[in-house]
Amino acid sequence: MLLKKSLQDILSELKINDDFKENIVKWHTLDEKPAQTVSLPQDLHPVLIQSLQSKGIEKLYTHQKAAYEKIMEGNSIVAVTPTASGKTLCYNLPVLQTILSNPNARALYMFPTKALAQDQKSEINEFIQAAGVDINSYTYDGDTPANIRQRVRQAGHVVITNPDMLHSAILPHHTKWVSLFENLKFVVIDELHTYRGVFGSHVANVIRRLKRICRYYGSNPVFICTSATIANPLDLAEKLTEEIMHLIDNNGAPSGRKHFLFYNPPIVNKPLNIRRSATLEVRKLAGQLLKNKIQTIVFARSRVRVEIILTYLQELVKNQLGPKSIMGYRGGYLPTERRRIEKGLRSGEIYGVVSTNALELGVDIGQLQVCIMTGYPGTISSAWQQAGRAGRRHGEALVIMVASSSPLDQYIIQNPDYFFNKSPETARINPDNLIILIDHMKCAAYELPFKADEQFGSVGTEELLEYLTEERVLYRNGDKWYWMNDSFPAHNISLRSASQENVIIVDQSDVANVKVIGEMDRFSAMTLLHDEAIYLHQGTQFQVEKLDWEEKKAFVREVDVDYFTDANLAVQLKVLEVDKLKTMDDAEIGYGDVSVRAMATIFKKIKFETHENIGSGPIHLPEEELHTNAAWISINKPLAEMGHDRLEQGLVGTAHALGSIAPLFVMSDPQDIHVVPQVKADHNEKPTIFFYDRYPGGIGLSEKIHSGMEVVFAETKEMINRCQCESGCPSCIGTETVSESAKKDALKIIDSFLQSSISDKEV
Amino acid sequence: MSLKNKLNRLKPHLASGNQPKKIEKPPIVPTIDVPFREKWAGENIFPYYMDQDYCLIREVKYPISEKHGIYYFHDFLTAVELWNKQPVNHPLSAQGHQPEDLFFFDTETTGLGGGTGNTIFLLGYASFVGEELILRQHILPHPGAEVPLYQSFLEKVNYKTLVTYNGKSFDWPQVKTRHTLVREHVPKLPAFGHFDLFHAARRLWKHKIEKMKLTVVEKEILGVERVDDIPGFLAPMIYFDFVESKQPEGMLGILKHNEIDILSLITLYTHLTFQICGIDEKQTRSESFEIGRWFAGLGEKREAEKVLKKLVEGSDFPSYQAKLALALQHKKDQNWEMARKLFADVVDSKDEKLTLEACLELAKIYEHKVKDYKSAIFYCHEAILIVTQTSKLPKLTGEYSYEQLKKRSERLERKLAKFPG
Repeated sequence: MLLKKSLQDILSELKINDDFKENIVKWHTLDEKPAQTVSLPQDLHPVLIQSLQSKGIEKLYTHQKAAYEKIMEGNSIVAVTPTASGKTLCYNLPVLQTILSNPNARALYMFPTKALAQDQKSEINEFIQAAGVDINSYTYDGDTPANIRQRVRQAGHVVITNPDMLHSAILPHHTKWVSLFENLKFVVIDELHTYRGVFGSHVANVIRRLKRICRYYGSNPVFICTSATIANPLDLAEKLTEEIMHLIDNNGAPSGRKHFLFYNPPIVNKPLNIRRSATLEVRKLAGQLLKNKIQTIVFARSRVRVEIILTYLQELVKNQLGPKSIMGYRGGYLPTERRRIEKGLRSGEIYGVVSTNALELGVDIGQLQVCIMTGYPGTISSAWQQAGRAGRRHGEALVIMVASSSPLDQYIIQNPDYFFNKSPETARINPDNLIILIDHMKCAAYELPFKADEQFGSVGTEELLEYLTEERVLYRNGDKWYWMNDSFPAHNISLRSASQENVIIVDQSDVANVKVIGEMDRFSAMTLLHDEAIYLHQGTQFQVEKLDWEEKKAFVREVDVDYFTDANLAVQLKVLEVDKLKTMDDAEIGYGDVSVRAMATIFKKIKFETHENIGSGPIHLPEEELHTNAAWISINKPLAEMGHDRLEQGLVGTAHALGSIAPLFVMSDPQDIHVVPQVKADHNEKPTIFFYDRYPGGIGLSEKIHSGMEVVFAETKEMINRCQCESGCPSCIGTETVSESAKKDALKIIDSFLQSSISDKEV
Repeated sequence: MSLKNKLNRLKPHLASGNQPKKIEKPPIVPTIDVPFREKWAGENIFPYYMDQDYCLIREVKYPISEKHGIYYFHDFLTAVELWNKQPVNHPLSAQGHQPEDLFFFDTETTGLGGGTGNTIFLLGYASFVGEELILRQHILPHPGAEVPLYQSFLEKVNYKTLVTYNGKSFDWPQVKTRHTLVREHVPKLPAFGHFDLFHAARRLWKHKIEKMKLTVVEKEILGVERVDDIPGFLAPMIYFDFVESKQPEGMLGILKHNEIDILSLITLYTHLTFQICGIDEKQTRSESFEIGRWFAGLGEKREAEKVLKKLVEGSDFPSYQAKLALALQHKKDQNWEMARKLFADVVDSKDEKLTLEACLELAKIYEHKVKDYKSAIFYCHEAILIVTQTSKLPKLTGEYSYEQLKKRSERLERKLAKFPG
């Protein structure tokens, strides 16, 4: 029998084995960092000191003490804390200290998910028990039994919840929470960096409502935020809470040695510059590790990818390890299933987990030794978060990022310095997005009437109230606006997804035991749950037998096939209103309101292993319409020498390349911003490329692009130039173009814009 | 309130130059305009002023000789007397209460379900004063007038016990919610006892009535006929319309609807009392059984037996239900032989659910008390037979599950082999 290899053995093997070493384009070692500690605060209550000591804590890390001091002085703070740096003490210490000196004091903890809330409850309760004091902390979420809810409302010193629960269950029932709101001293917002984009914009409004209710009951809580590393933690915290914040970033936690490898799969087709699929490389790498029982987490970007890799790996190691020793983890699994997986990882029964970014967050899954990313996760901070999953608390760890052929991945992997030296992305929110704002104004009015001079957000509150009055949602009496509708507004507003209704996935394999196995947002369902789609769930294949679009249900049945499906989305775009327009010699840049209509058209069946196309079919689903913001650039010069076809191909290629660079500059998930080319745009009849926000009303992404258009184009040009292919490949302008000159034409189009903006500056 | 109004109100306290020192207390001439005041007055509805706002109050009196549904209002007085005369322990018992202590209460709101923004726009209640029944309704004329609404309401409220229909989970919590929003301007809510008749109705008639709405109970049980009634679910729409147009018509319809709801509470309470005390001659055997079971559930053994024993004669469904209930009571008291006999009777009931329970109980008694394993096995097998052949019963769990019964049967076989005696 072969001896099991250790992580050390694997590391040396990676260095010498030709199979691997050729492909490792960067081996970056992060040295271990010793702890920086200071003595415990002098005023700390003796029972808290005792509790800390019972856990072997005699000193605090520098950032923990700084946070404690600032908070005790009454300041709101945001602490930047990497994974496993003891961030919970940053808030638990000041909160418990305050409650010990004032038993009426209350704190509200908010975590982005229920799972994190559960983790935190156990942690704070352990701490309280060790201190032997009478402080109640409870979680309050959908799983809280009805018979203890009243107790939580009245006697919970620390109430641990999530933004959705705050939005739909606590705030609309604030009269039942009087003792909390009258005495609220702290609001803790953990994982601050997750509150960006649409979700963050919603949550900012939930916090506006929370603060409004606090004012009503006469409290003015201190806000404590903790965040992973992003470029603008202070700015995000201040935007989200509309409070003056202090930044705590003197992290004093130690970290182990970490090897960060950039792995570029070998080129298999020179002329087309096509590389071996990242998925297959990951299978090879993860297989090696798992066979040696080295606990490994594999991240993949999409749900489908997770399921495919899971299928591969389970097959690969089924003889060495049981089938249950490698699990998938992603949104769409039911909570109980997820809890079971988290537990298995902690106990070590599960060796491998394949996950979407759902596991980026601080869910406690214990110490994993290796992290493999299938493709660049889309943002620098996301990549670091995922990397943090390996070696959280101990010794050496290995992180491998396997690049796909996408332009963004190739850009990153060929510019390691960009990744290792550039500050991570900026998290953006737009709480004043009209659609989001007005939804939350309805909720706010339901909670308490609006007064005439009241501010809610930074746009004309009174105008919006008048609008809602005309809509017969509010009623004005004197200088107040009252809720005047029979609905419960929070129920119709989901904080998480752009489309508010989810599609339920119903497994009818066993006719006698039909069951719901997951859910998916409507927009994703168009391309993942259409009739005949292969839907993967925990590595099991299901075929969609019927997607009932009216009822929002997808009926699936288990199948065993050797392909997966991939759907196309056709997009039409129309400018409704031009807000900003800059005209130059050869080009013009605009920004404004647009209407986007998307329709799923056809799907392809793609064979496992070879990834060849083995069939296709139509998708019959109604068009979805989206009103949003867009930035665009149109070329004035007709570029007549190109002719229509080449111009079209050139634009498609340019759009493809731009679409992969743009998310880098706006820190968004790649699917939050879309790029669409038009040979002859409806509104100005010129060749145009649009960037639009994929959320009704926009969340500020395209606006950011509008202001930095030159940088995006310059970077894109550099990326295309650097690519070694001859006439376009998946790593630069994509493969949708067939014309030989597409790459050249794309560069020409980019140039004509860049020149025009340079000459503009000179003038 | 504007500064000017504030000053006006404070006028008597302000030193003023050459005005005569002593002014007659100015009559409260409201400066506010009540739209359609005459029309309201025509319906016996008058404004109640407070500060610069108002609410509307309607008051109606009925002689107790009037009839609502199958009872006269004075029958309610009899009901209270009944409770006081024969003290039985029951959650609906008015023992120790005078008829005047009870307060029949119902609200109308702008939405369904709980939540801060669901506004109560009508507080209606009735109570007995001597030979009269007085019904009052406090109306919110527009959002924002809640201070006068609750002030006027709380001034009138001096009762001991609320009587409502589903008020424990809806009306009263909602009153608390809305009261919290004006708690600094109005008196505290007093503590009440609470009879929620919804649960009682469900106990008695759940087999007969599918949707236990008050309007259905009225029609099916209480003989109340509503003429031109506005369905409750339209109330929010009508109210919103009223707030905009100020026209009383729609509101008057809601007032009528609310009034009947409240009057029906009196009839329902009377009827329930007569049912529980067993003096309703038209009481069905099924109703009678539910009353008996209710007493048994409350631990009122003597009352339960009194009711159930009357039912055991005969061979209809309630007679078997009563036997089973009595048998379970005997089991609790460890009267094994009495219990065994009654369970054995129930086995003949031809009702799967009753028979199954009786068989299992018999299997237990024969196994543990009589130590007659053969009989125990017989009844255990009967139970298994029912479980395997039925399709009507809901999913069986615990000791009724097939697996558990099978285990029991195997254990019994082993015991029989050991002690074949």
